[in-house]
Amino acid sequence: MPRHISILAGAAVALSLTAPAAGAQVLFWSNQAAPIEETQRMREQVLSGFDGEVDFQPQEPGPFITRLEAEFQADKGTIGLVGALHGELATYTDQWVDLSDVDLGGVEVIPAFLELGKLGTEEQKYLPWMQANYVMAANKQALEYLPEGADLDALTYDQLVAWAKALAEQTGSPKFGFPAGPQGLKHRFFQGFLLPSYSNSMVTKFASAEAEQGWNMFKELWQYTNPASTTYSFMQEPLLSGDVWVAFDHIARLAEAFNQRPDDFVAFPAPAGPEGRGFMPVLAGLAVPKTAPDVDEAKRVVQYMMQPETQVATLLATNFFPTVETTLPEDLPASAQALGPAIQKMTAADDALPALLPVGLGDLGGQFNQVYTDTFERIVLAGQPVRDVLDQQAQTLRGILEQANAPCWLPDEPSDGPCPVE
Amino acid sequence: MTAVAGTDTARRVEVRSAGRFLFGAAVVVLCVWVLVPIYLLFVNTLSSPQEVSGFPKTGIPSFDFGSISFFLNFAGVLDALLNSIIVAVLTMILSIGIGAPAGYALSRFDFPGKEAFRLLVVMTRAFPLPLLALPLAVLFIRTGLDDTQIGLAIVHTVLALPFAVLITFSLFSGIPVELEEAAWTLGCNRWQAFRKVVLPLVLPGIVASAVFAFIISWNEVFAAAVLTIHNRTLTAFLVQNLNVSPLHLKFAGGAALVIPALIFIFAVRRYLFAMWGIANR
Repeated sequence: MPRHISILAGAAVALSLTAPAAGAQVLFWSNQAAPIEETQRMREQVLSGFDGEVDFQPQEPGPFITRLEAEFQADKGTIGLVGALHGELATYTDQWVDLSDVDLGGVEVIPAFLELGKLGTEEQKYLPWMQANYVMAANKQALEYLPEGADLDALTYDQLVAWAKALAEQTGSPKFGFPAGPQGLKHRFFQGFLLPSYSNSMVTKFASAEAEQGWNMFKELWQYTNPASTTYSFMQEPLLSGDVWVAFDHIARLAEAFNQRPDDFVAFPAPAGPEGRGFMPVLAGLAVPKTAPDVDEAKRVVQYMMQPETQVATLLATNFFPTVETTLPEDLPASAQALGPAIQKMTAADDALPALLPVGLGDLGGQFNQVYTDTFERIVLAGQPVRDVLDQQAQTLRGILEQANAPCWLPDEPSDGPCPVE
Repeated sequence: MTAVAGTDTARRVEVRSAGRFLFGAAVVVLCVWVLVPIYLLFVNTLSSPQEVSGFPKTGIPSFDFGSISFFLNFAGVLDALLNSIIVAVLTMILSIGIGAPAGYALSRFDFPGKEAFRLLVVMTRAFPLPLLALPLAVLFIRTGLDDTQIGLAIVHTVLALPFAVLITFSLFSGIPVELEEAAWTLGCNRWQAFRKVVLPLVLPGIVASAVFAFIISWNEVFAAAVLTIHNRTLTAFLVQNLNVSPLHLKFAGGAALVIPALIFIFAVRRYLFAMWGIANR
């Protein structure tokens, strides 16, 4: 054994010394497209067309931010290109190089997104990479239980509750599903859908009577929700297994259901509340850090990613939709064919009420989300009095916004100084 | 009289067989405890995606190699596996190379601050890595240790060191100092006595504590994810992606992480048992 150990040791030391140095490839650091199959498609179907070398590395949120901060602090880095959500890029505005000199040719980027990419400065801090949204999906079997007079494309929350109730009572078990598992995106539903729809606000009117009304509705809905929802992270799985017939989730987390059994499911817009149809568009951007080893090569990758063909390939790889004007091919996968129109109807609805992902919170983003998750757990799971919970959580929320010194974002009114919580 | 003795023996036999039954039951429960999750992992790894998310389960693998072959074709898996092994072996060498002398010193010599040292060595585990990772990464980037296997091995050594020191300390304490003294009187110097008398006795224990260091390094995710980029370890590489991947791929990834560790432990099991033998004495 000692001899084996010394051989092993010798080999390990030798190998560690001869490890190949990194080539001239651009390191693409992303917290999007992290699911392993999306990563695979990003590499094989999207980035393989670039006439240089790109190393696409998706990350968990923790290491993603820690590594970026370390490179900024050390003022030296290996990351060439960053792909992240608007709010995350907005945290490090000063660290990005100006991308306004990237030659996009004749590509027309959606102007509102370009404006967001300036992050309130004169420079183009990031270029909009791709967009997504959250919608509802239903098994077609569920449609016959729709309450009378309800239009699937213009549903209200009260109709959704009635629908879930009818499903639970007439099929024998609750059939509404909600991604309340540990990796589920439940907080986005409260931030971008429930609260805006009821109070036209995400932060300012967190504890208002209107918000209370919204939580009471959700509490009622929960009675007709599959109790296994607290374990669901991706609603496509329970939809496919038939445990859930009606569900809310991020489009990328519903896609597999439509791809595997396109004829069994429909996608439709999120419901509307008294104030409108709240929804939360997700915008991811591409930025080049000032510490990038080769800024020009990184800009070339950005230019490639913005081409219409690449954008369509990205849609196929990640289920995120293009940010540039382009005609979508007809042979799109079933998921894009079903989800695209649902997003279209939701964002173009008369009562549309977009709410942005949190902006300017930096590493307090996790705590901000936790406030909404805690509120949900206390009100809905633990059954605590709604008013008391909202008052207490509003205190925490106020503390976080003051600590981050973050002004309001949509749908809240712009503010001087930190966004107030009334 | 004989009748009384007879019932007494019968009762003794009864008690003994009850004890044997209890012992057998405990063995079965422990085996099931360990083996069932591993079995489920393998069944699901070797099943098609539909079978993994569907009910009812048959419990018998259909030998669908889709998930496995997806993994083997995923760019970088094999490199990451190699990196994991290199880093774990380096961690093993470093933690024993530093830990064993410290354990020997703790058990054989009296020096001021000995108790404080024993406490402090455990303190290195008191700080969560996510807290240390940022300053560590900044330092590593500045010194050029960033993204190297040896750099990561150093961090893992810090994590494994307390165990290496404390395990070797108890190993050396289990060897009577008289044995060494006898060797000295027979003409050995201190080093020879250690090499010829003490080392053969503690070697199995040292190998076992090295295995422990290997496992710690193998399982560590956060530092590996922040401090390496091109030289990813398998754990960091997979856990990053698996967290948000469909169920059947999670199972396949789990199997990919478990199999090498199982093989390694199986290969060194003799030494592990030997350590427990020493500990029981």
